[in-house]
Amino acid sequence: MAVLLAVSSVGALSLGTPYVPPYRLVAAVLEGETTLAGVVVSELRVPRLLLALVAGACLGAAGLVLQEALRNPLAVPEMLGVSSGAALGVAAPLVLAFSLPAAVQPLLAIGGAALGGGLTLLVAGIGRSPSAVLLTGAAVAAALQAALLVLMVMADQLDLQLIYRYLLGSLSARTWDDVTGMWPWLLVAVPALVLCAPVLSVLRLGDEDAQALGVRAQRARLAALAVAVVLIAPVTAVCGPVAWVGFLAPHLSRWFNPAAGAVRWLPWSAAWGAVVVAVADVPARLALAPVETPAGAWTALLGVPAGVALMRSSGRRRTARHGRAASVGTREQLSGLRKTAPVGADDVPPTGAASHAHRSEPGHGSPTLPPAGAAGTEDVR
Amino acid sequence: MTRRFTALAALAVVCAAVEVVAGRGMSPVDVWDVLNGGGDATERHIVFQLRLPRLLVALGAGACLAVAGLVLQSALRNPLAGPEVTGVTPGAVLGAVTATALGLAGWESPLAVVLAACAGGCAGAAMLWLLAGRRHGDPAQTAVHGVLVSAVLGGFTAMVLLVEPGELGSVVQWLVGTTEGRVWEHWHLLWPWALLWSAAAWLLAGPLTLLRCGDDIALAAGLSVRRARSLALLCAVALTAGAVAAVGALGFIGLLVPHLAVAVFGADLRRSLPGAALTGAVVVCGADAAAQLSSRLLATALDSGRLTLPVGALTACLGAALLLLVVRRTPSRTF
Repeated sequence: MAVLLAVSSVGALSLGTPYVPPYRLVAAVLEGETTLAGVVVSELRVPRLLLALVAGACLGAAGLVLQEALRNPLAVPEMLGVSSGAALGVAAPLVLAFSLPAAVQPLLAIGGAALGGGLTLLVAGIGRSPSAVLLTGAAVAAALQAALLVLMVMADQLDLQLIYRYLLGSLSARTWDDVTGMWPWLLVAVPALVLCAPVLSVLRLGDEDAQALGVRAQRARLAALAVAVVLIAPVTAVCGPVAWVGFLAPHLSRWFNPAAGAVRWLPWSAAWGAVVVAVADVPARLALAPVETPAGAWTALLGVPAGVALMRSSGRRRTARHGRAASVGTREQLSGLRKTAPVGADDVPPTGAASHAHRSEPGHGSPTLPPAGAAGTEDVR
Repeated sequence: MTRRFTALAALAVVCAAVEVVAGRGMSPVDVWDVLNGGGDATERHIVFQLRLPRLLVALGAGACLAVAGLVLQSALRNPLAGPEVTGVTPGAVLGAVTATALGLAGWESPLAVVLAACAGGCAGAAMLWLLAGRRHGDPAQTAVHGVLVSAVLGGFTAMVLLVEPGELGSVVQWLVGTTEGRVWEHWHLLWPWALLWSAAAWLLAGPLTLLRCGDDIALAAGLSVRRARSLALLCAVALTAGAVAAVGALGFIGLLVPHLAVAVFGADLRRSLPGAALTGAVVVCGADAAAQLSSRLLATALDSGRLTLPVGALTACLGAALLLLVVRRTPSRTF
């Protein structure tokens, strides 16, 4: 991964017009304003790369927090209406031609994101089955998208191009101002993230067990969601909803070390998010050379199939590992569940008593908790 | 049953009447004058060249989408399988946008748009088929996978639009679905296609009703399940593609109207298929009338002439609300 990161960083810094050979990069940065290459590298490419890394890390971490807190491998910002809400918050003043100071924009994005996510969770109810939450989220996202499209229809051609690019998540023409604008939010979010990481690993055990361990499950979950919103909103405010990074990064981190817990996955997920966005930004700049394609389109195109493949393959690995122990009948019965919850399904007996199975879960290190877990908890109640 | 059909037809007529008088610029009295043969040239033009085709296109597209949705839901035995969530609509949009951007299709060759939309819709459905696997087990699973497929297809559409930014302005309305500015050409394009495939759907009504009962029963009744299902899917994709080519991706009509139709007309598709067509027409037409009225009111309230509410936005909001209601009202079911 470090190699991938280094290669994509060097590629991001040196490729393009003008081409700056890698060995001249340091010299170019040191020269600063004096040469063309120096200006291009230090004023355009370095902030862009930094922004890509920070944005990716935020989205990756937020994705993991959402997935763990809702115990749902498909709980991504896009599916919960968080991204659409944030985008709506940013696009509305742009179209309606309110002039706002730049400092307020992240606030609007946060407001929108909280609106979208809050609406979803409010309507769906938190302890529900994962699919119900996702469907509700899809509905909320669709409604917000419709509002967004109304705005776009109203906008004139130039605004439209701007908004469209923004909506796909683009890193083009971002400068140091954008990067510095994100620091205050990160200062808030990172300590909160560190604080909530241990709680996440407790939440994975299921509400009953978490409460038995002294965690107020609902409140902890709300806090985790708030952290996720705070992480996503500033990124969305600056570079738009870079789609599906929050889906791919946690699955990558799980796939590479399946035995770890939520606390270990969190930094890995952030790192993978950074790598994904940095890697996606290179083809975004270069693929159709004079035209810049938005990075978000690339992450959507590549991220979704990759994420689904990862989910599937980790499920298969787990099946292979536990398959010998599990009786064939159980597997047949649960194979339908394996699509969202590829894993852990073997551990869970079909009826109730999910809590016992979950207690043994960290040992198996299964990356996701099955919907059977949620249903089982309800049955126990 | 006849009474229900009559009531629905009456509702359709009412919606159509509202739709004709709802637009900006003319009072209902003027419209009545024009319909009686009076009015000046401009008014005649507005009514006969703008409003009537718009009304007809709205009715036709609504009927197409609703029938497609009902056929899909019956063929896949999945209550959540509308064209929007099975990747058909996003695929059709992608096909149409790509064809337009490549210059293969345009105003000179409108049929090419329909065919491209059709091919795109098939591609979208095939992608979902690959992703979800051959076993269409859990309906909600399929729906969630459909959302993923839609995301990928949306990414492709975005790519195409960014390479050809000139198309963006005209295509955005298409993405949300609108009946704004539809003229007779659209109608002449839509009705033969819709008629052809609706007839096909009508012929398939019997087998589809059997398919709703489950594969085993259908097999026992002597139906070639696989062939019937592929034909039904093709029919649904073609109907959706026609509607998308005419009005764009109208949200949630194909997902929710079939439920309404089945609730009103029962599960026998020989009855509920025309019922769904009628319901879809009523819903789209009513939504269009409501959108026009509300954009008129909003324009006077906010004093800005730019504001138009596309009908797709309204149906999406309506559909989202209904979907929330459905998900919320069945808490015990795990979907």
